Amino acid sequence: MNELEKSTSEDSFDYVLNFNTSSAISRVKLNFLIFYVPIMWISGMLLVSAFFALIETFDLWFMFPILPFILFAMYFVFVFSIMIITKLFLILINLIHKPKQGIFRAEESDKDFKFWCMRIEIKRIGVWLLKHLPLPWVDVWAFRWFGVKMDFSSHLTDAWVDVEFIKFGRKITVGQGAVVMSSMIVGKYLIIKECVFDDYTVIGGVSTIAPGTIIGKDSILGALSTTNYKQLLEEGWIYFGIPGIKLKPNKFAEEKSEIIVKRDVDTKTKYEVRSKVNIDEDKRKLI
Amino acid sequence: MSKPSSLKVGPFTSNVMVRKRYAIAYLMIIWISIFIVQIEIWVYWNLFFYSFQFLVFLPLLFLSLYMSIILVSLLEAKFFLIIVNILHKPREGVFLRDVSDKDYRYWSLRNVIKKWPIWLSHKFPFPFMDNICFKMFGVKTKFRNSLFEGWVDCEFIEFGKDVIVGQGSIIQSSTIIGDNLIIKKTIIKDNVKIGAHSVVTPGTTIGRNTILAANSLTTMGQKLDENWIYLGIPAKKFKENRYNDDDLEPILEESIEDIEELRKLYELLYFKRHDTSISVKERTQKKKSSSQGETEKKQTKPITI
Repeated sequence: MNELEKSTSEDSFDYVLNFNTSSAISRVKLNFLIFYVPIMWISGMLLVSAFFALIETFDLWFMFPILPFILFAMYFVFVFSIMIITKLFLILINLIHKPKQGIFRAEESDKDFKFWCMRIEIKRIGVWLLKHLPLPWVDVWAFRWFGVKMDFSSHLTDAWVDVEFIKFGRKITVGQGAVVMSSMIVGKYLIIKECVFDDYTVIGGVSTIAPGTIIGKDSILGALSTTNYKQLLEEGWIYFGIPGIKLKPNKFAEEKSEIIVKRDVDTKTKYEVRSKVNIDEDKRKLI
Repeated sequence: MSKPSSLKVGPFTSNVMVRKRYAIAYLMIIWISIFIVQIEIWVYWNLFFYSFQFLVFLPLLFLSLYMSIILVSLLEAKFFLIIVNILHKPREGVFLRDVSDKDYRYWSLRNVIKKWPIWLSHKFPFPFMDNICFKMFGVKTKFRNSLFEGWVDCEFIEFGKDVIVGQGSIIQSSTIIGDNLIIKKTIIKDNVKIGAHSVVTPGTTIGRNTILAANSLTTMGQKLDENWIYLGIPAKKFKENRYNDDDLEPILEESIEDIEELRKLYELLYFKRHDTSISVKERTQKKKSSSQGETEKKQTKPITI
């Protein structure tokens, strides 16, 4: 019996979650049209009436030069009215059943699962509309509006994100194609746990972040790596691999030094290189 | 839920166009499907012009326009597909990746025909239309499966009930390797959960209640057993799937403590092929026996142009 068989044999079975699956993407149901159609209809009517009011009040020659701007503004009128109506629906739903973290059954009979699906489906329209704009910065509004705690110094445009139970510090970079989950489905259980990112963390591309991950200040998670359920990444370290373990302390964050140690591959020796850091003279004392 | 441009996997057909004249069929489908838009607007205009209802029902008109353009283009694509399939029946197997090969040409033509309706439906925030497209094109799925976050091939795939395909994962039934196009049926049974960023290659069969963990890969023609959790590149048995038991809530609250220990286990699992390791003696014997067969095979191989 080799080591692998030993570790995966029946005697050593435990229920600890030491693997990741996908986020609990909600099922396709036509019931959600009850929300979609009124949201779309009311905000569409607002858009149409605003547009006709503009045409009625202003002269056509006056309209002509500012038409591109008006079309762009109309899109935002549509988006904002959708956001407001969605928020109203959300408040109503949250009054009926408060969103909470924990472990629930992923079945129709479970109240938490049902309301989780509802929340996700309602938020979909607004986020989708803002994501498909040539202005990648505006979707932070949508995230903030729907309950992700973040500000404009960090961004989530390039990553797949669950739009609740995520807490961001300042100046966070999330890599391309990363998946940030605050919910996960395992067997017949739905797990909802908050993800917390402290200031100045960097998350590499195509990495997977499981629910309950807490990443400390100045930490880096490398590309193509994963974190485990409820894993705690300490302050000031670089983590790498599947699952992410400590690779080395994050010196890059501490000082922006002019001397860089490089390693020659052929002779296997280390040597120092003095490089010019591109910072103005009067600002050098800041680093 | 919020899909970024870097994870935008889809529309779900391959982009290989063997002959440029296939674009004519593609443009025909687009052209005819836009007629329905003209007709609907004309009817609406005649019904409600300069009345109160004109403004009230305008948003609903746009919604129905979108739905009807998808449905009409779907019907057209189905019509074209039936004709194409009568001319040459789609079949599994290994084919030559060359214009002279009939199967390769028709595989490409089928993909081109399917492109417009599935592109349109994938551009919608709600995934209803995706599943209707899959059903029309002959993929066996249930309407409630969520397949819209990943990339799923449009033919030779079977899905069971309650399947979840994770974010950015890929399910193929055809690949191109070197000079060959390989088409093999992929079967995914009931209650299978496929993790984020994982890849399922052609010919894979996944049994009931099995979980394929995140960041894993299956090999061609691999069979995954029922009720197991698979993990790794290529996927190996990790542990039994007992997460369908009752009353696990307090146990699942616990998290793993020693992450270094887990890493050691993962290193064993992730990149090594334990299941197919054979000794040197067996390998040399296999080579000897296969080399005799290979010489016969070489003679029967089709000639490339």
